[in-house]
Amino acid sequence: MNSTRVAIASALAAALVLPAATSQAQGNMEKCYGIAKAGKNDCQTAKSSCAGTSKKDAQADAWVSVPKGACEKIVGGKLTPG
Amino acid sequence: MLALRDLQAAFAAQLGGEDRPDLAEAVVGDSITAAARLRVHRHHVAESLATALAATYSTVQAIVGEDFFRIMARELAAADLPRQPVLAEYGEAFPAFVAGYGPAASLPYLADMARLDWALNLAFHAPWHSRLSVSDLADLPPEGLLASRVSLAAGSTLVRSAYPIDRIWHASRPGTATGRVSLDEGGVAVIVLRRADDAAFATLSPAEAAFVEALDDGKTLEEGAQAAFATEPAFDLSTSVARLLALQAFAALQQDC
Repeated sequence: MNSTRVAIASALAAALVLPAATSQAQGNMEKCYGIAKAGKNDCQTAKSSCAGTSKKDAQADAWVSVPKGACEKIVGGKLTPG
Repeated sequence: MLALRDLQAAFAAQLGGEDRPDLAEAVVGDSITAAARLRVHRHHVAESLATALAATYSTVQAIVGEDFFRIMARELAAADLPRQPVLAEYGEAFPAFVAGYGPAASLPYLADMARLDWALNLAFHAPWHSRLSVSDLADLPPEGLLASRVSLAAGSTLVRSAYPIDRIWHASRPGTATGRVSLDEGGVAVIVLRRADDAAFATLSPAEAAFVEALDDGKTLEEGAQAAFATEPAFDLSTSVARLLALQAFAALQQDC
């Protein structure tokens, strides 16, 4: 076993004995609550079945060409106007 | 009278946005005409699919706003009706659709946010299998450890982007006071994870991402470590492996029978 392999094997072995406190330091973990909760497998949500069926299909929705949301907080990059 | 196959094809075309007089002839109407009934049904389907997409792609919706999102989602829904009955599995084509969607071209990171949302959706619905733990590896001799191959757990996905998708995700949460995010901060890699009762992601260093990618390609731990060192000579292999084990990113070892 050459020295690089020895070093890798030692580092891997060391990872297995790091104290729990160290391995708990996960850092930057994002808990994504709220995904996939509403609107799935339920035809009776407020916006679909009951509210929607009385309307005809509107072919000519008002054209919304400008996104209006959190994108205002995201700036920079080559394609951003201004 | 249409043959069943033609009736179904006409019905799908109607749902996709065409008005099919031949279909209207096959539908009963009374005080509400057959054509009107079909339009009501089309509206219902489009609204239901847009709502399902909004649930899956909540970050994209937060970024562009509900009005913009609904129009974008309905356009996809008209072109890509579900092929399966489970709405949580619907919308895989959305990231590619977003990437080519002209009105969103000023938001070049949007398609990557859609990929992150999709990965989180897959993780959320992935089965919970046992995970690789320290004790699975602890008894291996050094050669065995170097030659081990580990797989990502079900629902674990590496998502790479040329944009700071972790910070954009944060900034798009409702009620967060995050200031501006600059796209000039550069790209990141994140690992999306299925956890016991939710989905989550963690940001990886470039070397950690190279390590995970190599393992996901079926490489050994040794080859993964070499890929990481090639990315970043000062890579701290011990700390990163301990971190990934603590994150429960990997599936338990397959028993060779």
